[in-house]
Amino acid sequence: MKQFKEMFVAQLKLTFREKQAWFWGIFFPVILMTIFMVIFSGSSDNEFSAKVAIVDENPNPGSQMMLQQISQIPVLEVKNGKPVTREIAEELVKDQEVHAAIVLPEGEDATSILLVVNRENEQGVTTQALSGMLNNLVQQANLTAVGATPTYELQFESITSGSNEINYTDFLLTGMIALAIAQGGMFGMVDLVEMRRKGLIKRLRMTPANMNIFGLSDMVMRLLFSIIQIILLSLIGVLIFGANLYINFPSLLIVFLLGALSFNALGYFFSSFSKTSEAYMGVANIFSFIMMFLSGIFFPIETMPEWIQPISNILPLTYFVEGLRESMVYSTSVFSSSLWFGIGIMVLWGAVTFLIGSFLYKRKSIVAAR
Amino acid sequence: MTVLEVKHLKKSFGSIHAVQDISFEVNAGEVFTIIGPNGAGKTTTLEMIEGLVSPDSGEIRFGELDWNNHGNTIKKKIGVQPQSSAMFDLLTPEENLNLFATFYDKARPTEEILQLINLTDHRNNHVKKLSGGQRQRLAIGLAMISDPDIIFLDEPTTGLDPQARRNIWDIILQLKELGKTTILTTHYMEEAEKLSDRVCIVDQGKIVTLDTPAALIEKLTEEREVRLSFLDGTDAAKEVCLFAKDLDSVTRTERKDRSLKLWSTDPENTLYSLFGFTKEKNYHVEQVSIREMSLEDVFITFTGKEWRD
Ligand SMILES: Nc1ncnc2c1ncn2[C@@H]1O[C@H](COP(=O)(O)OP(=O)(O)OP(=O)(O)O)[C@@H](O)[C@H]1O
Ligand SMILES: [Mg+2]
Repeated sequence: MKQFKEMFVAQLKLTFREKQAWFWGIFFPVILMTIFMVIFSGSSDNEFSAKVAIVDENPNPGSQMMLQQISQIPVLEVKNGKPVTREIAEELVKDQEVHAAIVLPEGEDATSILLVVNRENEQGVTTQALSGMLNNLVQQANLTAVGATPTYELQFESITSGSNEINYTDFLLTGMIALAIAQGGMFGMVDLVEMRRKGLIKRLRMTPANMNIFGLSDMVMRLLFSIIQIILLSLIGVLIFGANLYINFPSLLIVFLLGALSFNALGYFFSSFSKTSEAYMGVANIFSFIMMFLSGIFFPIETMPEWIQPISNILPLTYFVEGLRESMVYSTSVFSSSLWFGIGIMVLWGAVTFLIGSFLYKRKSIVAAR
Repeated sequence: MTVLEVKHLKKSFGSIHAVQDISFEVNAGEVFTIIGPNGAGKTTTLEMIEGLVSPDSGEIRFGELDWNNHGNTIKKKIGVQPQSSAMFDLLTPEENLNLFATFYDKARPTEEILQLINLTDHRNNHVKKLSGGQRQRLAIGLAMISDPDIIFLDEPTTGLDPQARRNIWDIILQLKELGKTTILTTHYMEEAEKLSDRVCIVDQGKIVTLDTPAALIEKLTEEREVRLSFLDGTDAAKEVCLFAKDLDSVTRTERKDRSLKLWSTDPENTLYSLFGFTKEKNYHVEQVSIREMSLEDVFITFTGKEWRD
């Protein structure tokens, strides 16, 4: 016990003093996440807006009412803030200064409202949205005109497969957490290669030190580091980028523990056949690179070409990130069978690589003298 | 009392026969030195004894204990300073010592070791930043932390300045005073002569010879070289030379100007007679010396090879 405590304290100091660990384990994922969030989550939802020009050549009560209503639609930005002449409006549309011009009814008895758009944009999403909005206005005006109240109204509801809605911010946040922990495991074992290369393992073998306790203290240290990663990334994601997390703690604990162990096992496997840290880093980089793009970290797997998907479906990171999303966003309970199926595949990777790694280490320790 | 017994050790790496046939015994409390040129097999021999490399054949016993049955007990009894000393570079000397101390049931106080290896001033610097000599001293400190009965030092002074080297000699002599057994390898003949109770010279994986330094040198001293030079000039030298040739103990002479070299099987008596002669003739001797024989001569005699550090 005393040995464990001392070894753990030593590991703590070693990790704390290793600047590389902080950079790649903490700083780098944060930067990467920030970049992705800024690039991809900004424009995708809720930020729709359109610039329009308004023509009201013959102000009348009908047109006034509509003008009033249009100016209250938050996503419409009225050029110059006030109506312009028809010529000017058409110029603006041609030059694409505005997306469309809205020509209000010209008199009490005029019944049409005109939407002028540039031909290039005729089929665009913005045009569709604008015409939808105007339609709505016109209908309301019609109803008011005959003094009726609407019989039907549209209710809006969104449905997803889970109990909570996932948006891109949540998706990316959980992806980055998974990536950070996986990379921590796959790259972290470079220490082991370094220790072996420098002869530190050999030096420890000359003492009665219990190498199992040494390994255990190392592992606990790594788990602690990963917990820091999770907390830090989650805080940044939630506080700065407004991610919504609905965490099921028992599931998260299991997914996290088994995931971290499995990826450390992968790193251990790499270390068992790498003679230098460069060789190790090469192998770890290849694996990490493949997984980074094929495991649905940044984009859902479903959006990738059909033929790639089978590859994604065997990678451990796919299931780790899925497990994290289940437990951090959908708050899936520990008893979900789909959760365990994913965990199973991931742990299979961990177990197999650990066994091969141990075998290689054992076989080598007989011959490897220096 | 024998604390370590090594019999017919052999080890090959592929086609390289690093150790061919090495046997010796080490007694309690002695400093036992293995000396030999690069690649002689010193480190390989030590690593087999330390349980790191398994010998192809041969036997290693620490008293009643052997590696197959008492590995952990042996590890507690020995302290090792490997040739390329590895330690935790991001920890300080003090932290390294403290960590290693926890590996053992009993340990010497870290403070005491730091003083012994003269690193108290650097106790809080990361090992990464220590100089080569300071690292080496820490490595020796780590070997001593468990207060072991037997200490293995693989080239503890290689690459150190004369001051630091002397420092380590002091440490080794202190260990000897405490009754510890030290097994040491080195390239420095002078060091072997100064420190060791017994010296084992190895070359190409074999023991060339093994004995106390004095006995080894004595074996060589068939005849010794004596040098004289005279203030009274060439004539004096010539005359002394003629006189010396007539002495039974002198086998050979060589004269150049005022200096005379002669080889004698009994230098003490030769000089006695010579000084009798010069006194009688009233010649004045400017310089006189008997060349000391060293382990280097032993090595050259036994292997027929030049010794280079
Ligand atoms: N693990 C190994 N694999 C292959 N060859 C080795 C190995 N270890 C030692 N040798 C070879 O065995 C021979 C003896 O090496 P060893 O290190 O024992 O010499 P040494 O006497 O300690 O030399 P030095 O004074 O340079 O330290 C050398 O030729 C070396 O190249
Ligand atoms: Mg050596």
